[in-house]
Amino acid sequence: MQPAPSSLTPSGTTAERGFKKAILRLVKGGPERLAIEAGQIDAIIDPTSGHAILLPDAQRALIERKVGFRSLIGLAFDWYWEQDERYCFVSHQGATDEAIGFTEEGVIGKALWDLSIDNLSETDWQTHRQQLEWRVIFRDLEVRCVDRAGEMRYVSISGEPIFDAQNQFKGYRGITRDITARKHSEAVVRESNRYARTILDGLGAAIAVLDQAGVVLSVNPAWHALAITHSSIADVACGSNYLTGCDNAGDDEHEDGMAIAAGIRQVIAGERSLFRYDYAADSPAGRLWIALSIAGTAGNNAARAIVSCEDITERKRGELLLDLERTVLRCLTDADTATVALKSVIRAVCESQGWTCGRYFSLDQSAGVLRFSESWGIPAAAVEQFIEKSRGLVFRPGAGLAGRVCQSGQPLWVIDGTRDAGVAPTALAPETGDEGAFVFPVTSEDTIIGVLAFSNPIIREPDDRTLQVVRSIGSHLGRFLRRQEAVDSLRRSESRFRALTDLTSDWYWEQNRDCRFTQIADGNPFGGADILGMTHWDLPGVVLADATWPEHKSNLAARWSFHDFEFATVQADGQCSYYSICGEPVYDESGIFSGYRGTGLDITRRKCAEIALRESEGAEVNPDDPAFAAAVRVARRALAERIADRVRKEYRPVNNDDGQPDLNGQASAKFGELLRALEFDRATDLRIAAAIELIGKTK
Amino acid sequence: MARKKAKRVTSDADATTVVVMVLYITESGPNSVRAIANIEAICQEHLKDNFRLEIVDVLESPRRALADGVVVTPSLAKVSPLPAATVVGNLSDTGEVLRALGIRG
Repeated sequence: MQPAPSSLTPSGTTAERGFKKAILRLVKGGPERLAIEAGQIDAIIDPTSGHAILLPDAQRALIERKVGFRSLIGLAFDWYWEQDERYCFVSHQGATDEAIGFTEEGVIGKALWDLSIDNLSETDWQTHRQQLEWRVIFRDLEVRCVDRAGEMRYVSISGEPIFDAQNQFKGYRGITRDITARKHSEAVVRESNRYARTILDGLGAAIAVLDQAGVVLSVNPAWHALAITHSSIADVACGSNYLTGCDNAGDDEHEDGMAIAAGIRQVIAGERSLFRYDYAADSPAGRLWIALSIAGTAGNNAARAIVSCEDITERKRGELLLDLERTVLRCLTDADTATVALKSVIRAVCESQGWTCGRYFSLDQSAGVLRFSESWGIPAAAVEQFIEKSRGLVFRPGAGLAGRVCQSGQPLWVIDGTRDAGVAPTALAPETGDEGAFVFPVTSEDTIIGVLAFSNPIIREPDDRTLQVVRSIGSHLGRFLRRQEAVDSLRRSESRFRALTDLTSDWYWEQNRDCRFTQIADGNPFGGADILGMTHWDLPGVVLADATWPEHKSNLAARWSFHDFEFATVQADGQCSYYSICGEPVYDESGIFSGYRGTGLDITRRKCAEIALRESEGAEVNPDDPAFAAAVRVARRALAERIADRVRKEYRPVNNDDGQPDLNGQASAKFGELLRALEFDRATDLRIAAAIELIGKTK
Repeated sequence: MARKKAKRVTSDADATTVVVMVLYITESGPNSVRAIANIEAICQEHLKDNFRLEIVDVLESPRRALADGVVVTPSLAKVSPLPAATVVGNLSDTGEVLRALGIRG
């Protein structure tokens, strides 16, 4: 229990004693009097007036309480005011009235709208007056005025109606607070926000601001513009949840959505300050690429992450086209045939552009038509059928897309099988399969040698860069095909030459500028010895006594060609071998002599026969002599070889229908006669000798 | 000002008597403040939840006090159960209060 204070004690002042007597007169009951005496009473109710009379302690407590209350109220507002029934101020009091334009002497007798307030329009005042007429409480009416120092001040005014005991309206009373500092702060914040907003709106990159939960707080105009063409961000708007959108991304975008959501959450959680992610999305305009950048932000506001989106489609397409050019060049470098090159190039283009298949139609110059040549397509039944149907296609210049491209030399495209530059869709079906198509020429030295035609359900309208790249590809491919044709032709020619060389010689040789062997092909005729680095006159056992060597060396020094230079070597068994060589000087690209090359023929058997015949001419001929018969056989064989050799060298053989050689020229009759003589009268030695003599004369 | 503190166990209303009281005070008066504290302590200790206390500020409702025959504050009036009783002062005499309320201390 709390102790009772001593109050109205007998030891009080005279005034207090008088007050006590008056009080006690009002109280008749004994307990009440005792309680008053004990100081346990706060108030006495005058039965006459019905008013409560506070005793001194209670009165002091009430006063202290009111003072404290006023002090607290003073903290809540700067001025207290009252208005009469005509809304004119009758009082306006405050602790700092000198600091504001609303001084008591300045406002007494005036209504609020009579004061120098410049931020409210007539409509605003009408609205306010209507509130007053309705006797409603108004709060935080913010007005602007100029104080005595000429400074702009802002005050907030709130008021409530006053009614008397008879519920008669007596006016308004209320408070006024100086909110200048707050307004200035708000202006600073507003200006800061406006500045930030201006920057945000002015940015070319699309920006979205997210809060802690991933909810979009704001987006800039660039975001709205980007959302028109990019379905992946079309649903992102103020109030939507970016993270939820990422989490619920569709099948094709699920992986990207999960990665982006994870990155955003890491940034919001402060685990990383920046997250970057590039992703692609399909759209009616083709594949689009977006570079996403999420940066964390920390401050007093709700923003926690800044999402920046940039359309990098052009850059990505440029990179893809650059990669495509490099890939095509690599394909052409690696290819060793036209077929391999065409397939690899078509495949590279299809994979780069996401097209289903491509076909090459080569221009048959002689027939003047385009014929299907090569193709590549994705492994799909429809594509394979489409290519299969294309195999017999032939286009005349000007007919169909391929023909038109061949005729004009300019690329053509069909967006989706129904829209192109003037060709009826039905006419395109064989070419495009009712799909989009892109056709461009393959050229070599400004001459069209074929056409590449690609198909896909939808072909994006090519930009300048794409057209530039396809022209480049067409040109590179055309040059390769032309070069390959030349290489093939040369290869066939070399093959024919090799075959002829194999018929007319036993080996092929090359020498350096010192006439030393650098290569021996098709066998080593000189006993298997290693002769590289030797000259012909260095060969093992070479017979240098022959007077023809100096003349031969002189010819070599003069860089002359030589034919049928014959020389002999002595083998280990003492037998002689005879050789006939032909050669020509070789010059490099600068025209500098680099050596000789030529062919060689082993003529040992022929020479032996000749020697035997010459030796037999000096002796008596006995047809029955076995030695003579053997010599005749050797001579006959040598003669046949000699004739055949001469025929191959000097007369162009043409095969008749029966496969027998037909000898042209003036000597054909003589050689034909000789051959017939050999065939029908081989035993006649005189004829053989005559033939040998004739051969000697014709040499 | 009239404040009511209505606390009772309704589930056992028949078995337990609810004491209804009115405390007349003068707000912010030191004896009134003490009277409020004292009666709340007594109720908490002896009546648990079986009481209903109304507090009347005579500065706001002087006629109510006159009508109820109250001439000084603080005064505690026991309304029910009968017989009615009144205690004046700051209720610092707990025994007197308990006797007025019919509770044996």
